[in-house]
Amino acid sequence: MLLDSATFYDPVACSAPVGAATWRTPLSRIGAIARHNTMLILREPGPLASRLIMPVVFIALLHPLYLASQGRAGGASQAVIATLITFSLLAMSIPGTSILTERVWRTWTRRMTAIRPAELLAGKAVPVIAALLAQQALVIGFGVVVLGLDVAWPLLLAVALLVWTLALIGMGAAIGVLARSLSELSVIYDLGGILLSSLGGALVPLAAMPGWARHVAPASPGYWAVSALHAALGGDAAGTLRACAVLAGIAVACGALAAARVGRGAARSATL
Amino acid sequence: MLVAQGVVKSFGACRALDGFDLTVSPGEITGLVGHNGAGKTTFVEVVTGLVRADAGRVSVGGIDVRRDPHAARRLLAVAPQELALYVSATVRDHLRLFAALAGLRRAAQARAVDQVAEELQLTGVLGQRVGLISGGQRRRTQAAAALVADAPMLLLDEPTVGADLQTRTALLAAVRTRAASGAAVLYTTHYLPELADLGATLAVARSGRIIARGTQQELMNGLPGELRLQFGQAPGEHPNLPAALQGRASAVDGEVRISSTNPPGDLAALLAAGCAPVSVDVRRPGLDDLYRSLAQEIPDAA
Repeated sequence: MLLDSATFYDPVACSAPVGAATWRTPLSRIGAIARHNTMLILREPGPLASRLIMPVVFIALLHPLYLASQGRAGGASQAVIATLITFSLLAMSIPGTSILTERVWRTWTRRMTAIRPAELLAGKAVPVIAALLAQQALVIGFGVVVLGLDVAWPLLLAVALLVWTLALIGMGAAIGVLARSLSELSVIYDLGGILLSSLGGALVPLAAMPGWARHVAPASPGYWAVSALHAALGGDAAGTLRACAVLAGIAVACGALAAARVGRGAARSATL
Repeated sequence: MLVAQGVVKSFGACRALDGFDLTVSPGEITGLVGHNGAGKTTFVEVVTGLVRADAGRVSVGGIDVRRDPHAARRLLAVAPQELALYVSATVRDHLRLFAALAGLRRAAQARAVDQVAEELQLTGVLGQRVGLISGGQRRRTQAAAALVADAPMLLLDEPTVGADLQTRTALLAAVRTRAASGAAVLYTTHYLPELADLGATLAVARSGRIIARGTQQELMNGLPGELRLQFGQAPGEHPNLPAALQGRASAVDGEVRISSTNPPGDLAALLAAGCAPVSVDVRRPGLDDLYRSLAQEIPDAA
């Protein structure tokens, strides 16, 4: 079992185990965590499947309402944006739950003994990014194929979706690190998801909302996501990038908060 | 390999570590013992960088864990006290993950996984989900995840709690093998016989500091054990013990217990005085006896 002495450690250099059998880079560790988390998600596919199916059911049933109120072009884009933003905000539970369950199982602390906090967060983010992008691709695909949604500049839309996904990951990670129980997490995501998407003008256009709601809307990440998607669907590069910059700021701020708390040991299971 | 000097850590008003000093050399197994709350687990968390010490210095392989916790972690493998396993993942998944995090390449990973599984008698359940295996097999999986990569410094925090005999035997053998190959091992436990099996030196922790350090023989030498005798008499009735023994005797649960540093001699004195017990049990000195003895020597540490 033991490596022979030539490939064992070098106590004088005080370095990692050396020799042909070992390779240690941040990327390799992130890859190992990402593979493991993908496996964990696929072994219990129920939550992921529901996050993928629910928005399709929602848009399939409610799109006539949007088409009737806003006409074919405006209705299609509002139906897609409403569904995408609302359900992607609810899907913040995927990164959050993936962190909090590990804290509850105490496996988070266990992994923390082997790698850097940022590597752990990055490794966990990879499969979750894929899941969130898959959810968004399903909704956009439904919009294009069934509702005749017109995407002026697909690449711009892809950038907006990717930045929004990163913001979701950052917010989800921060909540997963701060929450102390799964029920607390569930309340935050359910209430927060509906509140942020509604305030952001996803479910109902801001113009149709009360004045006070229009004033506080920019405080909601949902508002910037709606702005980015509207601009991207309309081919407005400047508008898309402006909204994306705000979303990127939210992603960085929340990600840094999560990494800092993890790095200081605040996410240990003992803190639950 | 592990050097801790004057480590202090408080959680609010509670001083969990209060000048903790400990050194563990390569190839040495050190048994860290102490009552609950003595600071054992906090010390393990400080060494792994999970908790930052308020003062003092801890180094692993010469690397200061406060200054460069990530470099220090590369030399460590940890088996925490509480089970930390993914119920939906297989035993092989766990071992592969920790082998990969330690930097083993794919072929080396597979070899290491198979070998540690064989050592800890997990080969038959490698493909089973952890949620479906027995408690003992889970405990071995947890230990195997720490042992799979042959780290030069092993921190095993009560790895045999609740373990069956098979688990304990396999685990102790694996730990001995690692130490024989040059790994430094810090092993926290409440079971002295395990440390005797491991040939470990002892570090006794109390109130956040190490109050005694040495081999078991050095520390236990001269400590009284106990003669436990039953005389087959009605409850409350006891034979007339020799005067020399009366000061050290007490009646507990229908038996007479005599504190003794020389059980054969005391038994001979009993028989010579005409006291013929119907059963005799000799209890060797244990951790509690050691703590009591140290408390008398170092009362201010309590």
